[in-house]
Amino acid sequence: MELQDTYYNKSEYVETASGNKVSRQTVLCGSQNIILHGKVIVQSDAIIRGDLANVKTGRFCIISKGSVIRPPFKKFSKGVAFFPLQMGDHVFVGENTVVNAAVVGSYVYIGKNVVIGRRCVLKDCCMIEDNSVLPAETVVPSFARYSGSPARLITTLPEAMPDLMSEFTKSYYQHFLPTTVN
Amino acid sequence: MAYLTQPDYVKYICSCGQLKPITSLYFCRHCLKIRCGFCICHEVDSHYCANCLENMPSSEARLKKNRCSSCFDCPSCFHTLSTRATLAQPRQAAQDAAAGGDTKVENKQPKKMYYLSCFNCRWTSRDVGIPDQPVASGGWPERTNPFTTRMNQLLDYYKAIAQQEKQEKLERERKKFAIRGKYITLTDKTGLTGAMARNIAGLPSSDGGSSSAIANFVASQASEDVDELPEDIYTKEVNLKQITSMAQRLASPEWQPATVSRLHPLAKLLSVKRSQRCRACDHNLTKPEYNPGSIKFKIELLAYYHVPEVKVISFETIKPGEKSALLIKLTNPTGHEMQVRLLQPEDLPQPEEREEPKSIEKSLEKSLNLEKEPLPETVPDKPSGVRVPASSRVCPPSMTLSLPQRDDAAEYDDDAHHDTDDVILWRKSNKIALRLEVVTESTVASGVPANALLALEYSYRNTVPPPPTAGGTLAGTTPAPRDHTLYTTVLLDLGVVSG
Repeated sequence: MELQDTYYNKSEYVETASGNKVSRQTVLCGSQNIILHGKVIVQSDAIIRGDLANVKTGRFCIISKGSVIRPPFKKFSKGVAFFPLQMGDHVFVGENTVVNAAVVGSYVYIGKNVVIGRRCVLKDCCMIEDNSVLPAETVVPSFARYSGSPARLITTLPEAMPDLMSEFTKSYYQHFLPTTVN
Repeated sequence: MAYLTQPDYVKYICSCGQLKPITSLYFCRHCLKIRCGFCICHEVDSHYCANCLENMPSSEARLKKNRCSSCFDCPSCFHTLSTRATLAQPRQAAQDAAAGGDTKVENKQPKKMYYLSCFNCRWTSRDVGIPDQPVASGGWPERTNPFTTRMNQLLDYYKAIAQQEKQEKLERERKKFAIRGKYITLTDKTGLTGAMARNIAGLPSSDGGSSSAIANFVASQASEDVDELPEDIYTKEVNLKQITSMAQRLASPEWQPATVSRLHPLAKLLSVKRSQRCRACDHNLTKPEYNPGSIKFKIELLAYYHVPEVKVISFETIKPGEKSALLIKLTNPTGHEMQVRLLQPEDLPQPEEREEPKSIEKSLEKSLNLEKEPLPETVPDKPSGVRVPASSRVCPPSMTLSLPQRDDAAEYDDDAHHDTDDVILWRKSNKIALRLEVVTESTVASGVPANALLALEYSYRNTVPPPPTAGGTLAGTTPAPRDHTLYTTVLLDLGVVSG
């Protein structure tokens, strides 16, 4: 099924020169540490904690409503240290999802109400289903589909996953339109 | 992607009769047929650990029983265990300090010790008394199977039997060959076939010396006397927190721990990278790159890249005896222009030859896991002219649609080009949106799932050089791409019929 148009209030969103669409109703802490590489959509009530460490996303990422992107920390004998969070291209993060991963590869689909634990590594082309919990320091390999709590490999993904995912995020971006002012 | 998060609105009929979404289909460029996971051969390309992403050669993987040597799973919740470091005072130094002796200062330095911990259920290797390790990875005590000797005996025995059977089969084949060919050739008479000479001389075909494993083997005996149940088996209070679950016991079949205190870390099972091969022509359909972290493929003949993609944009609710509108999108994924014609499924020409079932049967034998009985959700008849119970009919336009080739730069182009046509809604690079009509018979009951069949005729340009013919092709000439007209049928899911 083709994606349906989603409309947003034009006054609510800021569009940058590189095509990022960021809602004004978001919490972007330490915005100097947040790099959105273009055509990224950050929807309302999302939180990106750039104040803890650098957050970098690739192109065509979608950060849905109410999701939290938070760099992971590691406990050492002398306190804690935060590590930067990297996200590849064509990543979808569902609604009300918390991402504490160290690395999220490209072409990754994270469903809604998911918790990605501290310092997880999500390789390219993987999928975390809705309502899953990925415990800390998990490695999700390529072409794996994880689900459950704790999330486990349930099946593999089709070989065309990179193209499916880039088509999805591109068409999401194209169907994310401002409401026409009458 | 919507394919993975939504139900399958469009299913293609594979050449074996299965109904599958386009994402799980393959397209053999040599047979020019759609293939699915059930009618191709799956091969293991490489073994790797899903946690440390380390490659392991297949011989080593077999030796290590397909388990990673450095990664472990939690025996309690089966999540991957993490290594945690702690600082421990070396016991010796502590004792020395207590004795009041003059110890070296560096000896008092706390030493880093490592233990395994599960971040999901908080199980640690200390819970079961496994001592901490001085190195971060590896060195964990390996438990030996209590039945190692018996297991090895059995293994040797069955290996010997397999060997013997193989030998006998070879012998039989050789005999057959000898009968068919009237004359024994020189090589047969002189070389390799000592067994045959023995045969002629009337001696037993195989020498009994090799089967010492068979001769010495003692079969297992069922025993009558079993240990008595403990007296307090019915009276003792059971602490369910101490008893392992069935899944936990079966995760380590050699030990099958009954209590939580005997759970040991499980070495992580390896994952595999697979390549697919067409059964009919033995060509590779997909071949991944060797590196486990790579998502690239050396060969990737997927239907998604070769067959026109049909996507439902929207549809009106299907009502019995009425016409409803259906908007679909066609995409040409190939690098060549494509002519597409929509047809009724019964208008498809009968395929000139069905694939010889013999060859499929033969290749079926190669694959052990494939069931020969019909698989669920198959179309019982041939792919074309099938009678899939469809509630509605699509009225296809009689025109031929021309779809331009895929162009990655086209996404930066202007908006869609709107046609004034009745049928074509818009065109945009290699995509075309169509407005079709769906007619539903008045006899269809409401509440049944609504679906419609749609057949496609499409031109496909094959750039694969033709196989060398017996006459031989002229050297140096590049074979011209050949154009084919191919057919496929899709089943559209249109919700339920409403009354």
